[in-house]
Amino acid sequence: MSKYVERFNVVERVLHWFMVVAFFLLVFTGLGLFAHTFYGYFNFFGGPHQAMLIHKWAGLMFFTSSLLLAFSHLKDLFTFDADDVLWIKKCGGYLSKGHEDIPQGKFNCGQKLFGIFSLAATFIMGITGFILWFAEGFARGAVQASLLLHSLFFVLFVLAAIVHIYLTTLGNPGTISSMLYGNVTKGWAKMHAIKWYRKVEKG
Amino acid sequence: MARKAFLIDMSRCIACRACQVGCKQWNKLDPEATVNRGCYENPPQLTPQLYNQMQFIEQDNGDQLRWLYLNKRCMHCADAGCIKVCPSAGALYHTPEGLVGFNQDKCIECNYCVNGCPFDVPRYDARKKVTKCHACIDRIANGMLPACVKACPTQTLRFGDRDSLIAEAKAAGKKVYGENDLKGLGAVYILEDSPETYKLPAKPAIPASIFLWKDVVKPFGILGFWGAVGAALLHYVTFGPKKLENGEDHDTPEKGA
Ligand code: SF4
Ligand code: SF4
Ligand code: SF4
Repeated sequence: MSKYVERFNVVERVLHWFMVVAFFLLVFTGLGLFAHTFYGYFNFFGGPHQAMLIHKWAGLMFFTSSLLLAFSHLKDLFTFDADDVLWIKKCGGYLSKGHEDIPQGKFNCGQKLFGIFSLAATFIMGITGFILWFAEGFARGAVQASLLLHSLFFVLFVLAAIVHIYLTTLGNPGTISSMLYGNVTKGWAKMHAIKWYRKVEKG
Repeated sequence: MARKAFLIDMSRCIACRACQVGCKQWNKLDPEATVNRGCYENPPQLTPQLYNQMQFIEQDNGDQLRWLYLNKRCMHCADAGCIKVCPSAGALYHTPEGLVGFNQDKCIECNYCVNGCPFDVPRYDARKKVTKCHACIDRIANGMLPACVKACPTQTLRFGDRDSLIAEAKAAGKKVYGENDLKGLGAVYILEDSPETYKLPAKPAIPASIFLWKDVVKPFGILGFWGAVGAALLHYVTFGPKKLENGEDHDTPEKGA
């Protein structure tokens, strides 16, 4: 009997890594527009014009893969129950050493909130990005609001990504293999997503 | 260097539009086809080929028509929204005299300044580069007056030392628009009615969204970035990672100590 269970299929993994590549391209090409401090980052992309072009296409790539990934998890993302309340109360068990017993489904409450945030932020960045891309065709009020929202959600997205990266690598050993190979160990599944594991075991 | 400024006394204006023509001639700006809108105002707004524009405000008071004129142009703000929002340092800049020039070679065609200006002044030209009144920096540097000022036959437009122009207007009992707004405009006006009548903001300010972005979101972002990285590291060394209880079950060889 294998000691692994499948967590993400190949389509989900490819979409996720598409998002990752697009995300970092977007961050580093966008920083030069965000503040003077980072204007020099444009040089890594062969100057501002090329960087802005990359930014736009990476934006399309991120928008598409993010939506596809979110839609493939829509049901899991938006289903909450009493255990999620418990998760919030105990801060996911992250403010204590060792393991706390908080039964969770395929995604724990924090992952669901992150997923929903990511979906909402994708829409906001996509729509405001489109307005800024074709700013000449929009009213000043719409462009001004877009400039603010695009910069605000850029910051929020980066902060959320830092937490996401920490918790899926250093913070929870064994998690990253689900995105690399598609599998997690049964021990991982029992510890982190027991309700999901039981469902998978039943088949 | 002492600040230089335009003093624009609309009470003297006869709307001859010599300023519009003088500017176009000096800056070699193309003529534009317009349509008759039943009004002398033409073109109806600033364009990439029109750095200053005569606005006609018509008030119909029964049997009398009241005409107000406004010479619309870049205000050369000391606290300039266009410079604040422009990512490319030097594309828009303050001259030592406090005037706001632009350098199309540095413009990266982002369109931000068009929406960051409180007075809706900058325009995109056909090459998608910023254009606006540049206060004839080239002429001033050679001891000449700006072309529009030179062309004005009524001294509606004047240019010179900012403090003395304002002092002179005040001594004559005039109210000056823009003396202290945005840390002082480089084009101050004597108006014949309230600013709103001239479709000018009574209290001009950098758009709230631009202020929030540059003065709130940006510092919050830089603080938040290091805060989040710091919090993750702190968590790692205090509460530590959630290691699997059964060590053998582990498939990441480089798991924490
Ligand atoms: S009026 Fe507009 S374009 Fe002119 S300096 Fe002020 S913000 Fe810049
Ligand atoms: S369009 Fe040009 S001048 Fe205007 S903000 Fe962008 S880079 Fe600066
Ligand atoms: S100062 Fe020069 S650029 Fe500005 S409106 Fe007058 S003539 Fe045109």
